[in-house]
Amino acid sequence: MSQTITIDPVSRIEGHAKITIELDEQKQVRDAHFHITQFRGFEKFCEGRPFTEMPSLMARICGICPVSHLVASAKACDAIMAVRIPETAAKLRRIMNLAQHIQSHALSFFHLSSPDLLLGMDSDPATRNIFGVMQAHPHLALDGIKLRKFGQQIIEWLGGKRIHPAWIVPGGVNEPLTEERRDQILAEIPGAMQIILRTLEWFKEASVKYTDEIRHFANFNTMFFGLVDEGGGLEMYDGVIRIVDAQGNVVADRLDPANYQDFIGEAVEPYSYLKSPYYKNVGYPEGIYRVGPLARLNIASHIGTPLAHKEWEEFRGPNKRVILSSFHYHLARLIEILYGIEMIEKLLNEPDILSDRVRAVAGPNSLEGIGVSEAPRGTLMHHYRIDKHGLITWANLIIATGHNNLAMNKGVLQVAKAYLKGTQPTEGMLNRVEAVIRCYDPCLSCSTHAVGHMPLVLQVRSHDGEILGETARK
Amino acid sequence: MKKGNKPRVAVWKFASCDGCQLSLLDCEDELLAVAGAVDIAYFPEASSAMGKGPYDISLVEGSITTPHDAERIQQVRRVSGLLITIGACATAGGIQALRNFADVKAYTSIVYATPEYIQTLRKSTPINDHVFVDYELHGCPINKNQLVEIISATVTGRKPNIPPHAVCIECKQRGLPCIAVSQGIPCMGPVTHAGCNALCPAYNRGCFGCYGPMESANPDSLSAWWVGKLKVHRQDVMRAYRTFNAYADQFRKQSEAHEK
Ligand code: SF4
Ligand code: SF4
Repeated sequence: MSQTITIDPVSRIEGHAKITIELDEQKQVRDAHFHITQFRGFEKFCEGRPFTEMPSLMARICGICPVSHLVASAKACDAIMAVRIPETAAKLRRIMNLAQHIQSHALSFFHLSSPDLLLGMDSDPATRNIFGVMQAHPHLALDGIKLRKFGQQIIEWLGGKRIHPAWIVPGGVNEPLTEERRDQILAEIPGAMQIILRTLEWFKEASVKYTDEIRHFANFNTMFFGLVDEGGGLEMYDGVIRIVDAQGNVVADRLDPANYQDFIGEAVEPYSYLKSPYYKNVGYPEGIYRVGPLARLNIASHIGTPLAHKEWEEFRGPNKRVILSSFHYHLARLIEILYGIEMIEKLLNEPDILSDRVRAVAGPNSLEGIGVSEAPRGTLMHHYRIDKHGLITWANLIIATGHNNLAMNKGVLQVAKAYLKGTQPTEGMLNRVEAVIRCYDPCLSCSTHAVGHMPLVLQVRSHDGEILGETARK
Repeated sequence: MKKGNKPRVAVWKFASCDGCQLSLLDCEDELLAVAGAVDIAYFPEASSAMGKGPYDISLVEGSITTPHDAERIQQVRRVSGLLITIGACATAGGIQALRNFADVKAYTSIVYATPEYIQTLRKSTPINDHVFVDYELHGCPINKNQLVEIISATVTGRKPNIPPHAVCIECKQRGLPCIAVSQGIPCMGPVTHAGCNALCPAYNRGCFGCYGPMESANPDSLSAWWVGKLKVHRQDVMRAYRTFNAYADQFRKQSEAHEK
């Protein structure tokens, strides 16, 4: 029985992550929760606004993955207009979406996670950040900066700016691609390719050092959830939903994302502002699943580009087993970067990529629209209803971090069980909890910060709610 | 700041999307130089860390939306030499300030099932409603070149070169024909703070004011022109002013005037 989970509104940290660990009568860890406490109210303030404004309003949800929100939102608007967007527009959106995956994965791997990986979980917090990595491993830091730049630069070249570009619009994209821009991007590809190949090589070798982390980092059975293409291959922009279980069995396949409400339930817990989606057929909370890079590589039956496919085969092993430890999100991210670079090159070389037919124009033809795509951190869903004038009457969003909410709680619990000794959480434990959460790379702006550490408050509570120990990041 | 010592920089976050502080990491080529010239002492919100100031420069992103944050910004002010707000959230309350025009209870009860856990202020307000701000950088998000300019100006002790004029001037500088005059597209360029290099007009779409009002703007005249000449519906005028900078004074007055 968990009588202890209450959030004292005074001590609650707005806009930051907070974690509570609950002990039972024997002072053993019973449960753990990751709380999200930020509230900006997007679902509500879009009411009464024209649906055509949604992409640029919704992009402001997150400055780390704005393009993902642009894509999902624009797809929902396409559905409201009841149009099939021009082929070239879909390809251009794909390119920007992949560029976004690359920059975001690079940020996550190099800027946010590499300090833990390179400098050690217990190293001095003052230098355990990207600036510390610049001192200790300048080449690696530089590679990270360059790779993120590659992605951001493509977004800027296509959309005019890097954060919140206004280029993806309902019905397609704003401007066709020019030959000059295409060649500019193509010229950057070999450099990016070299970086990702050497990073992959280094990280695979280095991974053997982390056997402990691999064992304890959210290494448990869950289902995995995400989009695959028509042939079951890795997919980021479109496609159908597939769910596999921890043994690799396909639980559900070819689900139409537009019917998400039939198979996803959304539970609300009092301790967090983040909803907890679950797979309806299994129920709550057993219907736990993970999304994101690891999930995508676990559900895919192949990858449509040669180098990434080879890495994927090695990743899944000869028996194509499902990879369970969340530590492997890191490697999965690197493989997806490789896929992104290969795919961008492939798309840019297609004959119709310079076509000037890039936008379908229509008014509102359907009162409801659902847009689903893969954001760097997992499946992203935007769902809008409008009135007959095209004004939004209702909106629902399921973000990637939401899908992972249950899994994050479980991951924190696992670390707490392995590392909590007594009732006073240590700095080292805090780091490990942070690193587990980092694996999922929660995209809520409140829990992922640009530089340095995630501001965390970690509380240990007794079975009757008394606070036994608390550590805040010093 | 003491001569010879690297200035210590802190980055603070309130209610926001992180886009503005990420602009700092977007300065790839300049990042190493910036990292060399200043000491980026980023830290969490824990109050024990705050005592470790003072910081020569504080970059503040985000708006104030909770009682806790209203206190926290006071502490930030106390430990900061120069306090620079970055982005529409910090300078005008941001997109989340749209709730200032509605009943916040309606918000919390619709979005979340347990509103009693939401400790939120009725309004999302800009930082300068709470403390003295030394410098404001506008935009949603800010322009990274302006960020680099303001940091390097501060480091060398000169006045930052951030032009105060309207987006219109940037169109002229780029030689873009005016889309409002030539095509009748409603454009907020005339009342909007420069800094984006006239991005939207360059893509043939009207500026939607993401840099917020420029100081000497005359939005009354622009609105009258939209309604009179371009036949823009009053509701649409209202909505045009009600986006990322909805709670900036000049924009707020326009949207309220066109509400009914
Ligand atoms: S001003 Fe815009 S880009 Fe900057 S933090 Fe706010 S929402 Fe994000
Ligand atoms: S033109 Fe206007 S809306 Fe577009 S980026 Fe510039 S200030 Fe923002």
